[in-house]
Amino acid sequence: MSNLKVNVAGVEFKNPIITASGTFGFGREYDRFYNIEELGGMCTKGLTIRPKLGNPPPRIAESYGGMLNSVGLQNPGVDHYLQKDDKYLAKRDIVVIANVAGSTFDDYIEIAQKINTSNADMIELNISCPNVKEGGMAFGVLPASVEKVTAAVKKACPNKPVMTKLSPNVACIADNARAAEAGGADAISLINTLLGMAVNYKTRKPILFNNNGGLSGACVKPVALKMVWDCFNAVKIPIVGLGGITSYTDVLEFMICGARAVEIGTYSFTNPYGARDIAKDLANYVEENDIDINDLVGTLILNK
Amino acid sequence: MANLKDRTATVILNEKVAKDIYKMVLQFDDMPDEIKGGQFVHVKLNDSAHILRRPFCICDYDMERKTIDVFYAVVGEGTKILSEYTTGERLQAMLPLGNGYMPSKDVRKVVLLGGGMGSAVLPAIPTTYPNLEYYTYLGFANKDKVILENEMAGKSKDIVVATDDGSYGKKGFVTNILAEDIDRIRPDVVFCCGPEVMYKALKKSLDGHNVPIVVSLEARMGCGIGACLVCNCKVRRAGEEETYVRVCIEGPVMNLDEVVL
Repeated sequence: MSNLKVNVAGVEFKNPIITASGTFGFGREYDRFYNIEELGGMCTKGLTIRPKLGNPPPRIAESYGGMLNSVGLQNPGVDHYLQKDDKYLAKRDIVVIANVAGSTFDDYIEIAQKINTSNADMIELNISCPNVKEGGMAFGVLPASVEKVTAAVKKACPNKPVMTKLSPNVACIADNARAAEAGGADAISLINTLLGMAVNYKTRKPILFNNNGGLSGACVKPVALKMVWDCFNAVKIPIVGLGGITSYTDVLEFMICGARAVEIGTYSFTNPYGARDIAKDLANYVEENDIDINDLVGTLILNK
Repeated sequence: MANLKDRTATVILNEKVAKDIYKMVLQFDDMPDEIKGGQFVHVKLNDSAHILRRPFCICDYDMERKTIDVFYAVVGEGTKILSEYTTGERLQAMLPLGNGYMPSKDVRKVVLLGGGMGSAVLPAIPTTYPNLEYYTYLGFANKDKVILENEMAGKSKDIVVATDDGSYGKKGFVTNILAEDIDRIRPDVVFCCGPEVMYKALKKSLDGHNVPIVVSLEARMGCGIGACLVCNCKVRRAGEEETYVRVCIEGPVMNLDEVVL
């Protein structure tokens, strides 16, 4: 019998489509285009203890089949989220994943404690933001640090499954996946953006004020697929895959490489209905072929 | 509540009107209930290499014909591709986005000030508010870049066109020319769209005249609807600390005295 429901770390999703942090605000903007309850889940904008102003503009540059961003975690702060968005989202039939980031180790603990008593269904630990000078990606580079911060957040947030979001800008992502698992992560998500640069040949300057930014969009999909497969072979905890997904067949590819669910990010900018359309197409595929989507997970057949 | 749509439009005109500048007319299958001058349209290109939409001000619109006019300069790959579209091309576009211009109740007399491509924001303002009195000032680098003179002449009580090099109309920076006329016109507001240097010059040249200045900002955009936070602009509001606001939602129309240039 066909089935589109998936389960990640004990949380049930009506379909495996989740919107990625930073591309979907707190859900209200895309709610103006369609009912976000058609999605399996959504990750909030990265939350920090205090409101964060982010980087000066320009913060975005297009590249072939992709884009670079350097927003720098602009957000109204976790308390604002808890007052304004937490209850609103709790009323909706969608899995809410609170994405949190810190610039110090203690920040992560403090914010995890706050999310622990919130209405969020899961916590996504952002240790992979390439656009902030302190913290962010610094916590996500070395396996020992990934394990330490995951364990601390897990301890501070015992009520919610913890999903550690991994950076691709590391020596060996499978080592970091193992480190997250060793730290007690209930799931991992990958990949965050790849470090990149866009240059204006006339001015000889980078287009982004921050010089560097994070690359996302269709162009990163092959990198993401390989990393999901590598991590699938390294850990037992569930994987949420993301990176360049623009169609339901992309979702199938990620699941075959080992993802239990996926996140859609940049594609929402190209097509505001993108995540919803992919969920619909996937539902049609599953029905037409009479399959349980879970049966695809990790079924990649390598060439000899 | 779903109240925004991605809409389908047909290109019914796409022609060069000045050096590197094109006019495109898009006819929509269905139009939104309302468009305000100063709002923008977010256009998707029909190729998968260019994943970001292009934001353009709605230069003018006709609700009955279901059309909008867009003026754009060919400055990069995206606008080059756009310039190659022929009549009949079908495009996806979100509109109307942004706050648009909302004059306060006491406004009767408006100066519309355009710098270069920024002039393309102006025609929709009198379309939305036909009962106000308009004085238009358009400034361009040289005569090859002059656009929208005829369109604005028909919507204005008076119009002045200037070029920096004097190759067309009056010679000099249009902000200086306006400064000379401002006491005679005594407008309730100056609505300006142009490059950032123009806003700085305008602030200086109208200093002491006690005229509110409203500007329409331009920014590199992502989603266009307030979710991604890339099109930020720094503002300083009375009694508040400096902060970033989204050009796509809180703008693109802003009070110049709040914008940190």
